Amino acid sequence: MSRFNKIKHLLIKDFLMLRRDVAGVILMFIMPVVLVILMANLQESTFNIVKGVKIPLLFVNNDSGELGAAIEKEVENSGVFVINKESGGVAADMEKRITASEYLLGIYIPEGATEKIRGNVERFVLTAFNGIDKVPFKDEVKITILVDPTSNGSFYNLVMSTIRERTQKVQFDFIMKEITSQVNAISPVVISSENFSGEQFTIDAKYAIPDNSNIVPNAVQHNIPAWSLFAVFFIVVSLSGNIIKERESGSFTRLLTMPCSYSEYLLSKAIIYLMVTMLQFSVMLIIGVYLIPYVGLPALEPGNSFSALLFMALSASVAAIGYGIAIGNIAKTYQQASVFGAVSVVIFAAIGGVWIPIFIMSPLMQIISKLSPLNWGMSGFYNIFLRDEGLLSVIPYGGALLLFGTLCFIVALLFKRKSRQYS
Amino acid sequence: MTEDTIYAIDIQGLVKRYKGRVNPTLNNLNLKVEKGSLFGLVAPNGAGKTTTLEIMCGLKNFDSGSVRICGLSVKDSISEIKTLIGFVPQEIALIPSLTGRENLRFIGGIYGISDSKLKVRIEDLLAQFGLTNSADKHISEYSGGMKRRINLIAGMIHSPQILILDEPTVGVDAQSRNLILEELVKINKNGTTVLFISHYLEEAECVCDKVALMDGGKVVLEGNPTDLAMQHPECRNLEGIYFKLTGKQMRDTYE
Repeated sequence: MSRFNKIKHLLIKDFLMLRRDVAGVILMFIMPVVLVILMANLQESTFNIVKGVKIPLLFVNNDSGELGAAIEKEVENSGVFVINKESGGVAADMEKRITASEYLLGIYIPEGATEKIRGNVERFVLTAFNGIDKVPFKDEVKITILVDPTSNGSFYNLVMSTIRERTQKVQFDFIMKEITSQVNAISPVVISSENFSGEQFTIDAKYAIPDNSNIVPNAVQHNIPAWSLFAVFFIVVSLSGNIIKERESGSFTRLLTMPCSYSEYLLSKAIIYLMVTMLQFSVMLIIGVYLIPYVGLPALEPGNSFSALLFMALSASVAAIGYGIAIGNIAKTYQQASVFGAVSVVIFAAIGGVWIPIFIMSPLMQIISKLSPLNWGMSGFYNIFLRDEGLLSVIPYGGALLLFGTLCFIVALLFKRKSRQYS
Repeated sequence: MTEDTIYAIDIQGLVKRYKGRVNPTLNNLNLKVEKGSLFGLVAPNGAGKTTTLEIMCGLKNFDSGSVRICGLSVKDSISEIKTLIGFVPQEIALIPSLTGRENLRFIGGIYGISDSKLKVRIEDLLAQFGLTNSADKHISEYSGGMKRRINLIAGMIHSPQILILDEPTVGVDAQSRNLILEELVKINKNGTTVLFISHYLEEAECVCDKVALMDGGKVVLEGNPTDLAMQHPECRNLEGIYFKLTGKQMRDTYE
């Protein structure tokens, strides 16, 4: 009998087994789709704070002078906030409203702030021009900024840097103007600060992407490869469970008494699951390119190298299948395989940068992350999706995945041989 | 005629030791099963009968001795041997999520039976064992007796020269048990050598033309059930002879 015919019958059997494992199929296809839409949306919200989504802000200005008005104008000009202006309020009331999440942010400018700063500058100028080597008395001006306690750390940092930038500009301009005014009062030569700008240089911050690329980094470019890899590796639960179920039912033992080798048995499983993983990648790419825009997210830019994409998808599939086969051979029970398989993939994902970008991990964790096959996969897909690079650039990552998969196959075969020797 | 043409199964001096056990599971086992016979191998739990079967099917290695199936050594020619034997394991060795027909189609396919021949063979066997109406149900939905019957069909789908059965009537009702035993006799009459392993001495006594009683990893008594009864007139049946030779102490206590 030809080997092809035998493989054909094994493939039909494995396909039917997989098709009837409804829970497994849901886990392999529905879970990553839900995760990618959910996670991309969540991450995109944070990303959008910078890009135009407005934050509700309560602005209590009790200062009747120029300082309060100038801060108010600057905050308005930032375009980041939806401002509700109030006057005559007290800081304690504002704090209560922010704590209750009525507003995400509150700015409180106390009464007489302009006058106090003006007095401070006047004393400073007089002291300086009279040659007095003594720090003059300074009235404290305390502007309070309150942030909703339920907002996360990155939101807090983002808002504070925006507010700080705007208020420092106001402070600089106001003090400059006051000093000029005070100096003019005592100097015979009139000086003007009208055309003086505090901004001596500009900062142009942007993502470093190739000149000929239209790819813009966003949550989708990260989440599609991340959750695709997670889903592909999650097949270990179904694959190893499938192997153990056949072993426990005795059908595997029967198969070994038939003209079928262990390698043919594994080859059939590998082919079926390779088809599954390639289908998973295809579905996720199609969702990224065509469906994601319908849920208000930017479409995935899949890069320009199909060969690189195919190589990475195949390599990740081989790694996941090899890992699943190794677990299926080593684990003694279905429970052992499913728990170990699921937990180990979650750990690989966590340290591999699927959930949290690697650059924000501690230096030790950044080293540990390199041990995760999902990290190798992510690095390869980043080269394709974010740097628009080709096949050559992903060979090291794909190669590492292929090596991992092959080693797992070898471990499975050695374990099988050893267990036969001792049984 | 040479021994190879006479014996379907020829086991000589077979020894098998499991790691961590003091005594060998098979201790110089000798067993010869003639071609065309219906042979019963009867033994208590832990006597080594399943190990013997697994060695014959190439599932387990052994330490010393020789095992020849239809003249072929299991050490050198296991691939050829696999096409000659049909193995019916003790457990229902079928895939629960597949239907009876799908399981049989898969097994027949692995043996290289063409699709058209396989279709006819499956329908014949299903009808023979009264399973035609339940052939498209998943194995998990079958009753205990139906499972035993389809398990037997799976072992003989490729019309093997030797059919090896490991306790094929465990846990079935009287009707299914009777049907299985009747079919085994029919299969044997059609020229297939049947090696039937059982706990049930009365079954072996009833259907087998030769039996071997095994204990402590070797054969302690062998012969035709009627002849054995005549040699031991003090015993009422095969069970009585067996107890006389081996005692009543349980064999599968922890070593």
